[in-house]
Amino acid sequence: MNRLFIKIGLIACACLLFASALGMAADTQTLAEVRIGDSKGDWGLPNPYHHYQRGPGYVRMSWIFDTLIWKDKNGEIPALASSWSYDPATHTYTFRLNPKAKWHDGKPVTSKDVAFTFAYFKKFPYSWAPVGYVQQVETPDDATAVVTLAKPFAPFLTNIAGTMPVLPRHIWEKVTDPKSFVEPEAFIGSGPYRFKDFNKTQGSYLFEAFDDYYLGRPLAKRVIYIRTGKPLASLSTGQIDVSNIQPDMAEPLQKKGLTIISDSYGWNKKLMINHRKAPLNDKRFRQALAWAIDRQELIDKAHRGFGAPASLGLLPTDHPMYNPATPAYPHSTAKAREILESLGYVKGADGFYAKDGNPLQLETLSSSLTVGGEQTPDRDGEILKKQLEEAGIRINLVQLESSTTDARVVKWDFDLAVSGHGGLAGDPIALNDYIRPDVAPSFVNGARYGDNAELLALLEAHVKEMDPAKRKELVFRIQEIYATDLPAISLYYPDSRAAYNPAKGIRWFFTQGGISGRGVPIPQNKMALVAR
Amino acid sequence: MRLFTRMTWMPALSAYLLTALALVYASFALPRLLPGDAFIAMYGGGHVAMEAQEEAKIRASARYNAASESFTQYLGRLGRLDWGTSTAYETPVFGLIMHALPWTLLLMGTAHLLSLGLGFILGVEAAWRYDSVPDRLLTSVMTFLEGIPELGSGVLLLLVFALWLGWFPAAGGETVYSGLSPWERTLDILHHLVLPLATLVLAYLPGNALLSRAAMLMTLRQPFMLTAAAKGLPPWRRRYAHAARCALLPVVTRLGLRLAGMLTGVLVVESIHSYPGLGTLLFQAVSLRDLPLISGIALFSSLGVLTVALTLERTYQYLDPRLKQQRVTLHAC
Amino acid sequence: MPAESFSLRRDPWFLFAAIVGGTLLLAATAGPFLAPYDPYDISFTVLEAPSAKHWLGVNDGGMDIFSELLTALRNTIMFGLLAGMAGTGLAVFAGVFSALRQGVTGLMLMRLADMLLAIPSIMPLVLLAALFQPPPSLMALALALFLWAGPSRLINAQARMLVTAPHILAARQMGGSLWYLLRRHLVPEIYPIALIVLASRLRAAMFMEASLAFLGLMDPARKSLGSMIGYGLKYYFLDIWSNWLLPPIVCLSLLIMSATLLAMRMEKRMDPRLQNLS
Repeated sequence: MNRLFIKIGLIACACLLFASALGMAADTQTLAEVRIGDSKGDWGLPNPYHHYQRGPGYVRMSWIFDTLIWKDKNGEIPALASSWSYDPATHTYTFRLNPKAKWHDGKPVTSKDVAFTFAYFKKFPYSWAPVGYVQQVETPDDATAVVTLAKPFAPFLTNIAGTMPVLPRHIWEKVTDPKSFVEPEAFIGSGPYRFKDFNKTQGSYLFEAFDDYYLGRPLAKRVIYIRTGKPLASLSTGQIDVSNIQPDMAEPLQKKGLTIISDSYGWNKKLMINHRKAPLNDKRFRQALAWAIDRQELIDKAHRGFGAPASLGLLPTDHPMYNPATPAYPHSTAKAREILESLGYVKGADGFYAKDGNPLQLETLSSSLTVGGEQTPDRDGEILKKQLEEAGIRINLVQLESSTTDARVVKWDFDLAVSGHGGLAGDPIALNDYIRPDVAPSFVNGARYGDNAELLALLEAHVKEMDPAKRKELVFRIQEIYATDLPAISLYYPDSRAAYNPAKGIRWFFTQGGISGRGVPIPQNKMALVAR
Repeated sequence: MRLFTRMTWMPALSAYLLTALALVYASFALPRLLPGDAFIAMYGGGHVAMEAQEEAKIRASARYNAASESFTQYLGRLGRLDWGTSTAYETPVFGLIMHALPWTLLLMGTAHLLSLGLGFILGVEAAWRYDSVPDRLLTSVMTFLEGIPELGSGVLLLLVFALWLGWFPAAGGETVYSGLSPWERTLDILHHLVLPLATLVLAYLPGNALLSRAAMLMTLRQPFMLTAAAKGLPPWRRRYAHAARCALLPVVTRLGLRLAGMLTGVLVVESIHSYPGLGTLLFQAVSLRDLPLISGIALFSSLGVLTVALTLERTYQYLDPRLKQQRVTLHAC
Repeated sequence: MPAESFSLRRDPWFLFAAIVGGTLLLAATAGPFLAPYDPYDISFTVLEAPSAKHWLGVNDGGMDIFSELLTALRNTIMFGLLAGMAGTGLAVFAGVFSALRQGVTGLMLMRLADMLLAIPSIMPLVLLAALFQPPPSLMALALALFLWAGPSRLINAQARMLVTAPHILAARQMGGSLWYLLRRHLVPEIYPIALIVLASRLRAAMFMEASLAFLGLMDPARKSLGSMIGYGLKYYFLDIWSNWLLPPIVCLSLLIMSATLLAMRMEKRMDPRLQNLS
């Protein structure tokens, strides 16, 4: 009932706001509203403890909560922190805060909020910004925060200062259970927009401009997220102003006058391998799989050529720390067969391999995504099956609902599984999550590979290496080893496109390296709506 | 052999109660058989990984342990009218259902009423004019339309009217956060309702029309119609006050059957037109393995249908006096 | 008034339905031989327009749409026949039985029907699909378990009405056994309704199959008219409506239409009361 009254009240407020917006002197700089289209809709309430774990959830939170450092279309910019410095001797970062920064309830943002946030996230961890390394935060005055780390942490500026939302101390210091705190105060932040409404079942969000935003005036009075399964239709009719689109839609939309932007590679399609089970526990066998797969065919079939073959070292080919010497496996069925035979498999009359009478057969899980609105029938499974069978491996393709597939992968109840994930355009610390074996079991996209001691040591080392050149070397070596051991096989990067209506005057962009240090590859950076 | 038993109140009611209990158990047990769990559905495939102990803590929390609830606890909760909290949305299940229900009711209710009313009248009029050109035309058209499933007509309507012509929206129940006046808002909702409604009406109307016509034809043969004509009653009165009333029985029965298939039928239409009703909610709940929500929707719709069935049972008795009177008469229908 | 004689052989609707239905059935049976390519062959140019080589073009996975269509037709028909006939059989049995035995058994049967009706059938079907990945024939039989519940009430209602009719009572009076009543009166009088029920169950089964496939709940690798529509709809922005979307919609509609028509016309033939209408 409460929600109903709130909704009625909000609609009334929206009416008033709309009316007053009209009544106000025609302000050509300020749009009434901007509508963003999304296929899933519901990404959770926009605060650190409630948004869903995926990228779009974080982005919705970022409209409201600002971080110390942010990125705009050209790169790093100061946000809550107007300047910062690093002292390598003591592993200390000093941030000078912007004195104009205010919370949505009018109180100023001070260094005490920053110190409090670090302590709070230590007590109630927020997986997007792991603050385990932070030893202490001192606040010599209201505008200075001095953060001391226990050991050097290379991605600190991007992944903590550039990702961690700062919480208002005066609100959160009384909160002992952040997960159940959903009062309106839980959404008070220092970002350019205030949270107004979220409708779960309709999958819609409403944000309203915070005119006292310290970096500049928001260009639109309201930001609205709408769930739509048909972005082309919605963009054409003007129902939404910006949305991610399939590359095939680019041409018809351009003809209608919309601007198309494309992203660097941040999302990959990956073949998960159960490397704990024979015969997949032998890395030569996994290499044979890599030789047998024709990545270009997958792109041509599943994406009409819109994509690029993936590097097997996990970091995308346009990443600043991509290793061009990463072992590649250009498609060769012959080579695959050679390796299989060297492992003792004997080819039968039907072309399929067997060892000691046991036919070589692998069960491949393929997810048919059935989340309301998001329909992506997975053709890749069928094509992979064909390719692997050409190399003599019998494939039993099982198409399941994505949650069922995930559950089986978590329990290691599979041989191969076709899946995909993003987060590759950000800082290479992401590699740690996607490789190490001690990651939380529910992280199904991780290879959970602990067989290579050197790899694990390197993963630990590169995070602590503050010299960029040396760090790059370590990351290079990681990719080399990963591509040799192949705990999972990256297949390709699908082209990522978005379209927006330029008539509204907003220039949306894909952030370099993705939004936040974790590389979220969607073009909804709040800086597009801030006049600076 | 006894031809029928006197339907006294007690046995009937206890039978219904037993069914209700079985339904409650079914709504409890069936969702728990779904493989995968809510935790994986929410956190699996996330962009960032958590630490193992953090995950263990969350997994142990009450929110993700709905599956460990026993049947007695479930019953107790329902007894207190607590429908539980959705695992995925973290809000009371009842609230979520109440948000989605009006949309589905609006869609289904309007579709049924329109197709029942319109179909019945069309069928009665056609039967009255048996074997004439209008009758033959109507029968042909209705037969043709009945062959087109919701899947086909929905997709075609969407393509033509939403995607090509752009006359109607391709998705949604209403324009969100539009700040419209109540009157404009009603129009907006109706605007969004047209295509899904049209799809459902096109699917239900032919069946109702044809069945009404067939039932009407049988009724018109009855001797009492001759009597009514002999009495000099005007045609429309003979049609509706006398004949149609008897022809109504099978049509109402059919309505009852249709209501039962509500969720499945509506799911396709809601999916095609992205309409925010119970069907879509159930779909989301299933893929998120949200046990309380699935149980809630299943139970809610099941009990709802049972109530309607009970009402219809009473309506049969009202409409067909023979069953009420427990004796055979030569009059009435 | 001259009595109208009604012959199915000369009824245009029946002929139409028979021809269309027969053609589709033939196409489905001969599918494997008629199809120019293997429907699972993904070697063709993706989203190619219709041409002499590919009558309906190629879909997004590189498969020939015409071959796909034939296979899908076959799958949908077989599924529909199996589920529909099983469902009708159960419905007639349950409906007539509970009308005759109006004691506890009859009551329980109808209550069972109520219960089955009230369960949103999509849930157990999703469970089945997810847990057991059963072959389509098993899914069809499982569907039949839900299909029988609805019509059984209708048949029960009609049977109850019939059972109270005077001529039945008279027959009972004159010593007719249960079997006699069934054979001579009830079955012929229930027959038309049963045919309509069969048509509606066939229709419901094929519709269910198409809907489940469209929603992605059946094995996506299995060809179905519903999944073809689902995949095709994803590319609504391309010019594929005429070669990819329309054919399965038309086929599905024709299938359902012919099933309905056949039953309707047969009903008219069998019911003497409908024949002699002036």
